[in-house]
Amino acid sequence: MSRVLLVGFAGIGGQDHQTAMYGPAFEKHPEFTVVGVCAGPDEPGSAAKTAAGRLDVPQYESFDQADFDVASVAVGLPHRAAIITQLLRAGKHVLADKPLAASLAETEAIAEAAALSKRVLVPAHHQRLHGSIRSATAALGAGRVGLPWNVQADFLVAGGDVAPTGELVNLALYPVDVLHAMLGLSVTRVFARSGRYWNSEADDFVALMLDYAHGVTGTITVGRTGAARDTQPGGLTKHRYRVSGSHGVLLVDALKPALDLHTADAQERRWIGPGTIDALLDVLHRGIQTGLPDIAVTDAVHTHQVIEAAERSLRSGAPERT
Amino acid sequence: MTLGVLVVGAGFIADEHIRALSASGRASLVGLVDTVADRAAASAGSHGGVRWDTELTAALTWPEVDAVVVCTPNDSHAEIGIAVAAAGKHLLVEKPLATTVSDAQALAAHFAATDRVLSVAHTHRCYDYGRAVKDAIEDGAIGRPVFARLAILGGWIWPDWRSWILDPARSGGHSLHNGVHLLDLVTWWLDDQPISVFARGRKQTAAELEIYDYLEMVVSYENGGTAVCEMSRAHRPGSFAHRDVSVYGSDGTLAQEWDGESSLLFSESGASTVPAAGRNGFAVQLESWLDAIAGGQPATSPQDGVLAVAMGVAAERSIASGEPITLAEVLS
Repeated sequence: MSRVLLVGFAGIGGQDHQTAMYGPAFEKHPEFTVVGVCAGPDEPGSAAKTAAGRLDVPQYESFDQADFDVASVAVGLPHRAAIITQLLRAGKHVLADKPLAASLAETEAIAEAAALSKRVLVPAHHQRLHGSIRSATAALGAGRVGLPWNVQADFLVAGGDVAPTGELVNLALYPVDVLHAMLGLSVTRVFARSGRYWNSEADDFVALMLDYAHGVTGTITVGRTGAARDTQPGGLTKHRYRVSGSHGVLLVDALKPALDLHTADAQERRWIGPGTIDALLDVLHRGIQTGLPDIAVTDAVHTHQVIEAAERSLRSGAPERT
Repeated sequence: MTLGVLVVGAGFIADEHIRALSASGRASLVGLVDTVADRAAASAGSHGGVRWDTELTAALTWPEVDAVVVCTPNDSHAEIGIAVAAAGKHLLVEKPLATTVSDAQALAAHFAATDRVLSVAHTHRCYDYGRAVKDAIEDGAIGRPVFARLAILGGWIWPDWRSWILDPARSGGHSLHNGVHLLDLVTWWLDDQPISVFARGRKQTAAELEIYDYLEMVVSYENGGTAVCEMSRAHRPGSFAHRDVSVYGSDGTLAQEWDGESSLLFSESGASTVPAAGRNGFAVQLESWLDAIAGGQPATSPQDGVLAVAMGVAAERSIASGEPITLAEVLS
C-alpha cells in the first residue's frame, strides 16, 4: 500500500480539488493510505488543517518533513511546476491536478524532471477515464467506425465561478485530452474563437477548430454558462463526442451512464458506476507497479501545446500550428 | 382569384414546390419550363397537363403567369431571375440566390427596381425546428443568443458523375449548394452581422470529387457571437440522418439533439430514424412568399440571399486558402 501526502489545497481561482476530489478518493482507495497533509505556498492553511483533523493525520509545514511515497498535488497554479519538480527530485510519485503547469515551457521542464526521476507522474486528465469514453476509445481502436476523419465535442458546465485564467486554460484541457486518447492522434493546428458571454472577468466560452494528423479535423466547444436550474454550480450540462469514420459514426453522450431522478422538488442525474477520479487512482497505482502509467506527462505536454496554440490564435485571429 | 405560378426546371426539387402549390388555395401551377423537352412534357403531364415549353422567354408571355418558381442549376439563377424581373413577375428562387456575389447583387438590384417580390428558398427557415428555435429566441427564452451549433449530416444522395451539383462551376460548390442553408439559418437565429468565415472541407466519398461533400464552417459575428455549422453528404452508413441544434444565450441554452425529434426503428436491416410528422416546410415557404406578394413581410429578403451567397463564397475561399475570410473581402 502506498503512503500518500496531500500537498496543497488550491488551484485556479477558488478551486480546491484536493478537498473535493483527490483527498476523498485516496481515502477510500484500497491501494493507498493518506499519511499526512501539507498546505501549498500562499495558502491560508485552513483547508489543510481541516483535512488533517478529518483524516486524523499530521499536518506538515513542508513536504520534506513527511515520510510518504506518493504526493497528491493541488497547489496553486503559479507554484505547481516548482512543487512537482521538487517532489519528483525527492523520489516521490506524483498525482497532479490539472493543468499540470501554467505554461508549455513549465510542462516540458516537468517532463524532463520526470524522465530523470524514474518516478511516476500522472496528470489528472481524468475525463478520458469516464466509462462511456473508455468504451468509445476501445471501439475506435477496434476499428468499429473504420478510419476516423472528423470529431466534434462539447463540454459545457453551468454556474460556478469562471476561472480567472479563462475556461480555455481551465476546462478545454478535458475534451482536448479525451480526443487525444480516443483518436491516438496529435493536433497540428488550431483556430480559436472565444467570448465573455456570462461574466465580464474572463473568457467563459471557447470554440476550437482543430486539425489532426492524417487530415482529421474536429471542433470542440467549451464553456461555463450561467447557472442552470437543477444543476449544481459547475455541473456538466453537456458532455458529448461524435466521431465520424470511413465506415460508421460513433455518438458518445458522456452524461451517461446515469439515472434520471425526477421528484416533486427537483430533477437530478445520478452517476452509475465508478467515478473518474477513482479510475485515475487505479491508473496511478498500476503506473507505480509497472513504471508506465496510462496517463503520462506527455499527455499534458500535448494538451498544453494545443492550449497555447489556441491562445496564439485568439491573439492573431488566424489558425496557429501547435 | 389564385396566383398563376410557372415552375422553371423540372427536377426533383420542383416536385416539392409543385406539391406545395397543389396544397395551396391561393396559388396554382399554370405551366412548366425545362430545357429538356421530354422532361418538361413528362412533368407537365403528371401535374394535370399544364402548359410547358423549353423556352423561358415564351412562357413568360403566357397571360396566366403571375409569378415564377426557379428550380434550375445554381449558375442559371441570376440570368433567369433577371429575365423574370424584366417580365414583371414575382420570383421564388431556389437557393443559392446565385453562385457569385456579383450575380446575387445584380439579381437583387433588378428586383429592387420593381414592385415585384423576390424571395430565396432558404427552406430551413420554414421547417418546424428552424421556426421553433427562432420563436424561442424572439420570446426571450435564452436572452441574447451568442453561439449556435448546427449539424445536418447524411449520406451520399447525388446520382453519378453527371450530376451538375458535382461541377463547382454550375453549383458553386457545396458551400453554395447546401451550406447556405445552414449559414443563413444560424445568422437568422443569432440576428447578427457575419464578419468572417473559417471553413474546412473534405472529399470523403471520392478523392476525385471537385466539391467537398463534408463542410465544417465557422462564422464569426460583429457582436462577438460564433456559429459552427456542419453540412454533410459524406457520412456512412448512407442511411445516416442526423440533425443537431444548440443555441446558447445570455440567459440560457436551448438544444434539439439528434434524438430530439425522431423515433428509432430497429428492424432486420438495422436501426433507423423515423422523424416526427410536422408541417411541410415547402408549403410554409410558399405561403410566406404569397403573403409577401400580398404585402406582408417575406421569409427571406433579397439581402438575406446576397448575404448567404457571400458567406458561401467565403467558405469556399477559406477552404482553399486555409485561412478565415472576411465578408468585407467577399462583398467588395
